[in-house]
Amino acid sequence: MTETPTDDREPTETGADSEAGGESEGRPSVLVPIEVLEGESLPSGTSALLANAHVVLCGYHVIPEQTAAEQAREQFGETAMSKLDEFAGALAAGGADVETRLVFTHDKDTTIDRLIYEHDCLAVLVPNSTERVESVLVALRGTVGVGRNTRLVAGLFADADVDVTLYHALNEGESPEDGESFLSGVRSDLVERGVDPEALETVVEDADVPIDTIADRAASHDAVVMGETDPSVTTFVFGMPSEQVADRFLGPVLVVQRARPEE
Amino acid sequence: MAGSDAPEALADVIDADTGEGELERTIGLVGGLAIGVGTMIGAGIFVFPGLAAENAGPAAALSFAIGAVVALLVALPASELATAMPRSGGGYFFISRGLGTAPGAVVGIGLWLGLVFASAFYLVGLGSYAGQVFLEAGIALPVDPAIPLGVAFGVGLTVLSLFGTENTASLQNAIVISLLVILTLFLSYGSLDALGVFGAERVPERFFPPGGLLSVLQTAALVFTSYLGFAQVATVAGDITDPSRNLPLAMVGSVLLVGVFYVVTIFVATSAFGSARLGEFGEIAMVEVARSFVGFPGALAIVVAGLLATFSSANASILSASRAVYAVSRDGIIPEAASRLNLRYGTPHVALGLAGGPIVVLAATGQVELLAEVASFLHLVMYGLICVGLIQLRRESPSWYDPSFRCPAGLAVAGVGALASFALIAFMRPASIGVGVAVMIAAYGWYRYYATDVELKGDF
Repeated sequence: MTETPTDDREPTETGADSEAGGESEGRPSVLVPIEVLEGESLPSGTSALLANAHVVLCGYHVIPEQTAAEQAREQFGETAMSKLDEFAGALAAGGADVETRLVFTHDKDTTIDRLIYEHDCLAVLVPNSTERVESVLVALRGTVGVGRNTRLVAGLFADADVDVTLYHALNEGESPEDGESFLSGVRSDLVERGVDPEALETVVEDADVPIDTIADRAASHDAVVMGETDPSVTTFVFGMPSEQVADRFLGPVLVVQRARPEE
Repeated sequence: MAGSDAPEALADVIDADTGEGELERTIGLVGGLAIGVGTMIGAGIFVFPGLAAENAGPAAALSFAIGAVVALLVALPASELATAMPRSGGGYFFISRGLGTAPGAVVGIGLWLGLVFASAFYLVGLGSYAGQVFLEAGIALPVDPAIPLGVAFGVGLTVLSLFGTENTASLQNAIVISLLVILTLFLSYGSLDALGVFGAERVPERFFPPGGLLSVLQTAALVFTSYLGFAQVATVAGDITDPSRNLPLAMVGSVLLVGVFYVVTIFVATSAFGSARLGEFGEIAMVEVARSFVGFPGALAIVVAGLLATFSSANASILSASRAVYAVSRDGIIPEAASRLNLRYGTPHVALGLAGGPIVVLAATGQVELLAEVASFLHLVMYGLICVGLIQLRRESPSWYDPSFRCPAGLAVAGVGALASFALIAFMRPASIGVGVAVMIAAYGWYRYYATDVELKGDF
């Protein structure tokens, strides 16, 4: 594990946060997976987006099962590590506090899952590029786990001069008033955590297919924050909603992880 | 299982990041069992019953049982060593670290060639089943297509493993599970039929063959190829999660599972037909057994199952052979170039070539029994030395030796295991012993020529 030196700036988090986990010195932990040897580089805009985060930069290399993991590390380890350090440097220069992990694996999902767990990451970045980070769409499904969303949003964007749009698609049997009151609760929580009230906007909508609407709305923003979804038949067939949104939006998506059960 | 909660001390050290990245273990217990069972079941059920029954009659069931006992006597010590050294390379790794470079080199090169012989044997079996597809479809071929098809599959599998970067682990699991389902149905029906549930009780043949116990032991030596797969679990030990629990369970469990299937298969097959008749059917005897029970659908099911089983055996053995090449080349016993990976596909192209090339040549000979026995010979030498290695390590008890699974009655089991492994070799045909000895002498000669300055004992 390599600890990349960062600048001496104090953590930007203002609201005192008593909840444990997911944060290092008040910064929200975000996992950034990069397939380091596949010519994948750090997408532009990433260091701006994560300037206030504690980034767990996970370089991974997927090896075919014909190949022993040791064998791949022996041959590619050094190259991969130096590339990863280069990315870590870029993130640190942007202000992030960076930790790097390099893993040789036969299965990307197992590795990313394990690292999310080990580092207690609040969110995972789907690394796509963006030109600037001025406005962010935050799609919220409901009250369950919403605290993790607000901690992430406040931690990343409270001092960053970024417009935040809170978006909620009405669930079945939910009235527009319910939706409004849900979002205003989230909004005041964010304000309490130091987000400028002027920068906040809320949208409640009755959408037939929330994924489509989120993807459409995302087009007028620079990044999306959304939650992960329980695996089901639908997600098996169509992929995770966050993946669907990322595929259509083509910009960075921060997928907020559910709280992991204690071991 | 003793110590299953113990920290994976050595495994953690190996996987941990040393400035060049860490390693993810991705094969669980089911995956490990699938590797073991998938490698073994192709031979014992789909290739050997006809040949074994011809040699030993219904007592061939005893031959398979003897094989299972020998395999278990080795699987237990091998499990202990694997939990102490959960690294790629399996038996080679244990022996080179426990007994030193010279035995290590002989076993390492022997393991590579042993797997080459085994793969060639599976490929001929695969060719027989593929040829049977033409017969079932009513297409008459002028020549026996088994060998040309086996060679073609050998080339195809090698190319696939060079360029195929899709992970097929879950496919392998699915194949093994469907095989087990088909076989369970087939063998349950067959057993009931043999016991006379569906009509006239069949008259059992005399259990022992004219050759007596000697034929049974010779057959045990021949069919031992059906038990080589458990060691393949150890060759991927570096990728197995929670190795102190999953390695012993996968190795011992897969031997027990296939052992039971083999014994029942012989019982069913020899109840359906006389041994001589089974011998005439040769490699595809089980197809005729299934046909005699439920006609064409049964034959078809067994042809499909046979294709899947021999395919997965051949594929697993080619991959293991390439791992064996990697293991010896990593240690400098053969030139390091042999373990190079290509960046584009991430596959060890040189090692796969060193496995695939000779496999195709050997498959072309079509000498099923010779291929099987030489494969068994080279593996049995390794198994015997694994047992010797366990005894040696228990005696010396070096500081790094801290297995989280300890073989019960270790010294006794390993002692009997070593004797049984070497004894089984004595019942092989002279030609097989000759080829096996020649391979070992060549391997030792190579070691004297190239690798005398490599010191591996206790080296991690």
